[in-house]
Amino acid sequence: MPPNGSSSAAAVWAILRKECRSEWRTRYGLNAALLFAVATLTGVSFAVGRLPDRTDLLSALLWVVLLFASLASLAHAFVKEVEGHTMTLLRLVASPTAIALGKLLFNLIFLGVLELVTVPLFLILMGGPPPRWGAFLLVLGLGSLALAATTTLVGAVVSQTRGRGALFAAVSLPLLMVVLAAGVSGLRAQWDGNPIGADVRLLAAYAAAVLGASVLLYDHLWED
Amino acid sequence: MNAAAAPVADVALSLEARGLAHLYTGRRGLQPVSFTVASPGAVAVTGANGSGKSTLLRLVAGLLRPTAGASVLTLGGVAVAPAARREVVGFASPELQFYDEFSALENLAFAAEARGLADPHGRARAALERVGLESRAGDRATALSSGMKQRLRLAFALLHRPPVLLLDEPGSHLDDEGRALVDRVVDQQRRCGLVVIATNEEREWRLATERIELRGSGLGHPA
Repeated sequence: MPPNGSSSAAAVWAILRKECRSEWRTRYGLNAALLFAVATLTGVSFAVGRLPDRTDLLSALLWVVLLFASLASLAHAFVKEVEGHTMTLLRLVASPTAIALGKLLFNLIFLGVLELVTVPLFLILMGGPPPRWGAFLLVLGLGSLALAATTTLVGAVVSQTRGRGALFAAVSLPLLMVVLAAGVSGLRAQWDGNPIGADVRLLAAYAAAVLGASVLLYDHLWED
Repeated sequence: MNAAAAPVADVALSLEARGLAHLYTGRRGLQPVSFTVASPGAVAVTGANGSGKSTLLRLVAGLLRPTAGASVLTLGGVAVAPAARREVVGFASPELQFYDEFSALENLAFAAEARGLADPHGRARAALERVGLESRAGDRATALSSGMKQRLRLAFALLHRPPVLLLDEPGSHLDDEGRALVDRVVDQQRRCGLVVIATNEEREWRLATERIELRGSGLGHPA
């Protein structure tokens, strides 16, 4: 009696709604992420002023702010279920794949909300050149997808280990380097008027590979 | 009889354990056990602390992978894979916790929605009514007493009207009225489905028609 597609979709949707409602009520991740992003951008802006000509620094700064502002919350997606002892409840109502997809969608929405506040603030405070919006949003979107997929997968894998905090950082770091490198390169290229094709292809392929691995792995998690 | 109290589908089902075992680190856990039980009926699993009662229920529910042997659950002659057990099993255990930031009703409605049940809020309300928690439906889970949380666990297990109920220490933290509720739930379920109760309480194992005593090493004799 395998779960059918409609019940899996219902589970993903229910988990996504549950995550959004939980975040709305507890403000566990969003407040801290926004505080980090706004404080960092304000601090850097006071220290070095506007950097309209330094597209290399601007590209790196935007990704560093987004990465560190979001990482604590993204990493916590599964840990909070383990530490709150609610993982058993979740596993009794949904398949591991549905759980992970629900959390991945929430992480994407979380990143989207964070970027909605951070990017305009970044452009205003740092005085960057006007972006080529299509290319800019494509790099940002694919980078966010790769970032969310990677952190969701690593978070799911390490959630039931003892040293999950240290393990998450150790496993995520090499995996996120690819996303950071391609994301920074892509943003810089769009500001400099250079082609972004190679970076976009790398981000898309990387996100697809991680998502593919995730779908294969999720149903084998948490059985021991 | 309200909606949640309606009997489950009267389909023949059987549960067989073939050398089923799960050993955690240190060789503790469930030692190999074999048995066959069929519906309608109720079976009690008893044994010393650490003999593997809760582990056995987790294995049957598909929450754990056995390190040896297998459990075979057949429903209407069709084997239900461990990954799909959540569809046909209702599970209540002290380890089952709810989301503190949600009310009792919201917790159950989320579970019903994730299970793909129609009218999740209606199902959740009916389940709360069945366990006598309807007046506390709007209270956050964190505000419920231990006994109320135990009732909420029972409501969670009954939510989707499963043919198999797995109850781990169902009477823990319950008052007399709560224990009578457990009696009624087991009595109703064993007439049309299967109940497995892990307990060392005489009142609870006497609710069952069969008894399996686990002879694992327990706490006193670590392997």
